[in-house]
Amino acid sequence: MKNFKMHKLYIAMLATGIGMFSTNTIAVPFIQCPGDNFLSDGVTPGSNGVPEVVDPNVKCLHLSAGDGFATMADGRELYIFSFGDITGSDEANAIDDGIMFANLPAPTIVLEQGQEVYLSLTNVGMVLRPDLSDAHTVHFHGFPNASAIFDGLPDTAISINLGSTMTYYYNLAQPGTFMYHCHVEASEHMQMGMLGNLYVKAAQNKLPDGTNLNGFIHNAGNEYVYNDGDGSTFYDVEYPIQLTGMDPDFHDANETVQPLPFANMKDKYPLINGRGYPDTVIAGPLPAPVKNGGLVTQTQDSNITAVQGQKILLRVSSLSVTRFYSLKSLGLDMQVVGMGAKPLRTAADTANPYTTNTITLGGGEAIDVIIDTTGVAPGKYFLYTSNLNNLSNNTEDFGGMMTEIEITL
Amino acid sequence: MYSLSKVFKRASLIVLFLGCTPGANAAIQGVTGTPDGTGVTFNLTTSTSNIPTPDGNSVRMWGYGVAGSPMQYPGPTLIIDQGTQVTVNLTNTNIPMKVSMLFPGQEGVSATGGTAGQFTQESSSVLGDTVTYTFTAANPGTYTYYSGTQPGLQIEMGLMGAIIVRSGTADQAYNDPSTQYDREYLFVLSEVDPKVHQDVEFGLLPMINNTVSHSTFWFMNGRLGPDTFFPDNSSFLPNQPYGSLAQMHPGERVLIRVVGGGREGHPLHLHGNNINVFARDGRLMSSNGVSADLAVSDYTIQALPGATYDGIWEWTGEQLGWDIYGTNAGGQTHDCNDVAPVDGFDDVTSEYCADHDVEIPVVLPEKQETAFGGFYSGSPFLGALSDLPPGEGGLNLNGGLFFMWHSHNERELTNDDIYPGGMMTMMIIEPHSAVIDPGNP
Ligand SMILES: [Cu+2]
Ligand SMILES: [Cu+2]
Repeated sequence: MKNFKMHKLYIAMLATGIGMFSTNTIAVPFIQCPGDNFLSDGVTPGSNGVPEVVDPNVKCLHLSAGDGFATMADGRELYIFSFGDITGSDEANAIDDGIMFANLPAPTIVLEQGQEVYLSLTNVGMVLRPDLSDAHTVHFHGFPNASAIFDGLPDTAISINLGSTMTYYYNLAQPGTFMYHCHVEASEHMQMGMLGNLYVKAAQNKLPDGTNLNGFIHNAGNEYVYNDGDGSTFYDVEYPIQLTGMDPDFHDANETVQPLPFANMKDKYPLINGRGYPDTVIAGPLPAPVKNGGLVTQTQDSNITAVQGQKILLRVSSLSVTRFYSLKSLGLDMQVVGMGAKPLRTAADTANPYTTNTITLGGGEAIDVIIDTTGVAPGKYFLYTSNLNNLSNNTEDFGGMMTEIEITL
Repeated sequence: MYSLSKVFKRASLIVLFLGCTPGANAAIQGVTGTPDGTGVTFNLTTSTSNIPTPDGNSVRMWGYGVAGSPMQYPGPTLIIDQGTQVTVNLTNTNIPMKVSMLFPGQEGVSATGGTAGQFTQESSSVLGDTVTYTFTAANPGTYTYYSGTQPGLQIEMGLMGAIIVRSGTADQAYNDPSTQYDREYLFVLSEVDPKVHQDVEFGLLPMINNTVSHSTFWFMNGRLGPDTFFPDNSSFLPNQPYGSLAQMHPGERVLIRVVGGGREGHPLHLHGNNINVFARDGRLMSSNGVSADLAVSDYTIQALPGATYDGIWEWTGEQLGWDIYGTNAGGQTHDCNDVAPVDGFDDVTSEYCADHDVEIPVVLPEKQETAFGGFYSGSPFLGALSDLPPGEGGLNLNGGLFFMWHSHNERELTNDDIYPGGMMTMMIIEPHSAVIDPGNP
């Protein structure tokens, strides 16, 4: 998978950069994960973030934070900062595996209500910006009743230095659509791409087969957005849809160590899940950017498919750092069932969704939408921003923030 | 690396030197008018002044002010009891255009005096005339007021403010018990395109093209981060009297009033917990006109221009899975007494008892492996202070937990191209022992 030669070159470049900052130490990552009894040489206790003693209520994740490249739909490769999923890399190899492994979007994190999450973050450094010794964090955006220490805000807690590892702990008491991002130098690191999907599946999914939910019979395998108690948020298939954008001038300025244009920031690459149309509908990963040393870093597609009659859940979130976006479905009604990781329900606890075909989100907002395809003619439908000048990939006039929903018989 | 705490500390030093300390605020600041026999009267003027920006520059603004006091940005918050007949006398002191006031959400507004304009009667600094607006504050809630004379330009220049109409029941935002609160904070959001202000300052009014707007400053209560953290009425911000730093104790119900005061929308993200929004534009979100049965909980308020939002924010640390106050074995000695009412929380401190004395489940990194925030106490535990390396921390006196509340269009966390700044503040969860406001401890 990896382009060995190029990757080693990058590691050498990083080492040079680290040498410039002798105060930074590269420690063996301390990956905290209950039940992880990894033996580094068959004898010596170590860690790789994978429990040998499995507890279904414990989830371990290991992310790298560093730099890399992502390919825009017009073929341009943009320099980015982001996270990579290095869960399972053992402590001896984790930093190596995380170098130049910035993903766009950051790896999608799927969790379950009731889990205890141990998320280790290793700061692997910026290969192309050895002058930057920035710390990083994970901000679990929207986490209810949060603590400051695991909130990821550098000003109010701690952030992890180059070469070191911090483990965040989250007890998942509530389901919903959240998101995550780095909060260090937020305007910069977020524009650079440290943004990802994160959602927590409802405990109601695990009820015994045949449970009567106020007249709605739960069958094993049924899934719901929330613990609705009435089946009103049932869905068949789900897709995370994260709206973002990138300003190529900002990314180029960062790569070439120029002053960063915050005031003039303009997202000329409007994106869904880190891609512009038509790349959004390429199922599976995009090919590795040439500049990336061969690492595949764009794995989250937005290719939505369903069989007629199915209910599609779109977990729509925005991590745009510049503006509001409206998202429109052409020919399909969108039923809005939740916002901000909460179901839309009345004070009397009855479902209170509304139906529309346009939703609007500012940065940091999430909306749960269910599309019922009962009676919908098979074919291709479009989901796109109705801020129509954003249907572009920089100078290419058609593309941008759009994807397709394919309904089959 | 740019750091908010370093910027703040630098500003703090300057301010300490001037004899003013950073800190939070007792209550929502504003003016209540003068009783006039039938209701209350506000005598307001409009004038021009420059306000400082944290990058060392200044911006020419127009503002409303209380007659005899400096103009301010935003204008004075008018605090009125429901049912009161309100009279506002507006005199334009020295703004080189006619000005006026609109009161969206108020019913039966009448205007006399001055000269007739597009929306309402206007006051001219050349003629020296006064316009009188009257209305009855029929409905409780959070409202805005702003100029009705070329509002696209004049609101940009600063002619806007907030109105709070208090319900007949103390500490209740609306006539619905679900809107009861223990503390309240107001956040007026706005923005500035400095080009417009420069043109005004240079007397180029006719040259201004209002269709091209490019804001590069984003304000909270008329201040730019980190000035937002300083107290109300800080002497070094004579035309920006309103701070934004918020404080509370666990378990309290905090009323948050948000006003979209400018011409852009701003997604206001509240770190720490969701907010239950129960009113929009001074009206309960209600299917029956009585109770806020259509309230919605969200972690981001979509604060649109001209709109207002009211909601209750709470925090206890419930279900964190570890004791946010630390463990007895760890030296953070405390009990969790849930006697009456039995609700799962300590009767006094609101600690969530199911997590009492549970160890934090992970080992935090060694000190040399992390960077420290200036608002970090050195300890993850509420009410605890711990050693930090020299020069780190120092801005957290009570071991509080700080949560940032900010525009999540993160570009807006800058001051004319300089990060950090802009539309941001903090909510501090203070330990129960800390006195927040002598009048409301
Ligand atoms: Cu970062
Ligand atoms: Cu966020």
